[in-house]
Amino acid sequence: MWGCRVGSASRSCLLHIPSSLSLPDLSYVSFEELLQMQNGMGMRTHRVTAGKKTAHPAPSRVFSFRPLEMSAKKRVPFLRRVVPVTKKVGRDPRFDDLSGEYNPEIFLKTYGFLDSIKKREKEMVQKQLKKCRNVEEKEKLQQLLRRMELFECWCSRDKPGREQQGGLGLQRFTGFSLNLPSLSSAAEKRKLELAEKYAELKRSGKLESFLSKKRKRNAIKDKRRLPSQKSL
Amino acid sequence: MLQGRITASVGLNVAKLQDEVCRHLASILVDNAPAKWLQQQDLTFLVGEEERAEEEAFEDGLVAERLKEDVLEQKGRLQRPVAKDVQPPDPDIIRVLRGHQQPITCLVISPDDKFIFSAAKDCSIIKWEVESGKRLCVVPRGKKGTEEQQAGHTAHILCMAISSDGKYLATGDRNKLIMIWEAATCKHLYKFTGHRDAVSGLSFQKGTHQLYSASHDRSVKVWNVAENAYIETLFGHQDVITGLDSLSRECCVTSGGRDGTVRIWKIPEESQLVFYGHQGSIDCIQLINEEHMVSGADDGSVALWGLTKKKPLAVVRQAHGTHGSHSLQQPYWISAVAALLNSDLVATGSHSANVKLWKSGEGFRKLEPLFDIPVVGFVNSLKFSAAGDFLVAGLGQEHRLGRWWRIKEAKNSICIIPLKRKAGVADSS
Repeated sequence: MWGCRVGSASRSCLLHIPSSLSLPDLSYVSFEELLQMQNGMGMRTHRVTAGKKTAHPAPSRVFSFRPLEMSAKKRVPFLRRVVPVTKKVGRDPRFDDLSGEYNPEIFLKTYGFLDSIKKREKEMVQKQLKKCRNVEEKEKLQQLLRRMELFECWCSRDKPGREQQGGLGLQRFTGFSLNLPSLSSAAEKRKLELAEKYAELKRSGKLESFLSKKRKRNAIKDKRRLPSQKSL
Repeated sequence: MLQGRITASVGLNVAKLQDEVCRHLASILVDNAPAKWLQQQDLTFLVGEEERAEEEAFEDGLVAERLKEDVLEQKGRLQRPVAKDVQPPDPDIIRVLRGHQQPITCLVISPDDKFIFSAAKDCSIIKWEVESGKRLCVVPRGKKGTEEQQAGHTAHILCMAISSDGKYLATGDRNKLIMIWEAATCKHLYKFTGHRDAVSGLSFQKGTHQLYSASHDRSVKVWNVAENAYIETLFGHQDVITGLDSLSRECCVTSGGRDGTVRIWKIPEESQLVFYGHQGSIDCIQLINEEHMVSGADDGSVALWGLTKKKPLAVVRQAHGTHGSHSLQQPYWISAVAALLNSDLVATGSHSANVKLWKSGEGFRKLEPLFDIPVVGFVNSLKFSAAGDFLVAGLGQEHRLGRWWRIKEAKNSICIIPLKRKAGVADSS
């Protein structure tokens, strides 16, 4: 009717004609004739062929007050579902994806505050041990103190290795001109640890007792190796 | 062509122009408008006055009214305004028929309003004649040895139903049995087994011999009595079914007790509509017309339901009041509800020493109290007659389902309460 020229792309989207169809040039066809064409095809087929999923409008929220319709043939379970209670699923942070990847450096940094707390607790236990008169209680406190010390030792033993690796890592990344040290083997690591232990024992003055214990243990082991008197 | 297009685009609805002036303008338009466009318009208002008078006369005719009523009834929207004409009855015209030894559990009225069938906790069924109040037939409880000769129930009868042609009577008891009797002679016909727990609801489809039964095993079963056949089972309730009712459509409504739902079972489509919103255990239900029902619960609330809304249209809480000591006030349980078919009159019964009558408002959106009828005892069953002339209440000393209370002053009997209408109002039925 108006006979104006409109771009074919815009017109096709107005009339929901799929772009995949190869159409003749519609730019010189009047709107009236286009509408007639569409009326001939019908809006529903248009929508369906244009790729829209349903020809029906989406259900409005008005229908939420209607009664629920269900199948009458499904058997009902014996136990009645009165209140929908969901079981509390326990989460293990070690294996849960939510916790992310374990990064020892970050872990130590974030939980580093616990070291001071542990130190304070150890001091408290030591004080209590001094004050305590009861034999049973004293034994318990001594065990507790020993456990705390062992745990501290275990934790601190791991740290230097890591620090070393961290140091190595740092060295690795700073500049390519440096002579990179060879990655220490297990034997060398053990040697380093041994040296450290010697230094510590010497410092604390327990070197003699430790060495004597070690000699005794080695002697017993060697005696087992020797042929016994009975076999003679 | 151009003129037609203009009027169409402007949206002029010619049929609405009923005024004289407008009619004049319309006639001008009609003269000038094209023929094709005229054909599409409704021009009945231009018909001459004589013809219109004839039409109106026809419309006022009884035939048309009756047809209109039928259509409304089918659709489920018929609501005859009966409640405003009902008057409270005098206490001396209320008849009490005694015959049962133990509390009455259920009763039905025959479709011609001539007989009443009642059953009690002593497992007997009695057929009464309404006019004289005489006992016509007594079916005693079944004895252990004589099951073939003398058929009878051996456990409490919880529900009864009578077919709309008055031919078959069905009774269900706590022993999972449904017994079919011939209503005229009280002769035992068939026994339907299949339920796995007490049968708590029975109803015939109006106009047919199809029987619906509901049980404490949470299932609804469909039977055909004429052919002595079981048809199908429907599931869905989460708790024991406490009541069942049906009208002429092939669907029935059940009340689900503690699961708090009222379900409509559409049998040909094998689907159910779930309604909820009633607190407490829903104990009794009755259909008012094809699309509305009334239910009563043990927290004292009475609710009116419509098919289109999942929540009740109207709720009256603590309909019969409360009882108990000062700090432990408990609402009276609603043990029976009844509704006059296709009207706005509803009756509820409890053990509060009266039967309350209610009027449902326009579109069943309100429930207003009318008056009380004093009775003594537990009202275990309430039924309106088909014509709405009288209301029958089955009374007992105990509740029909258990022995939580016992009212010593009550008598185990049937009360026939005539309902008088105001003088000068023609009975339309």
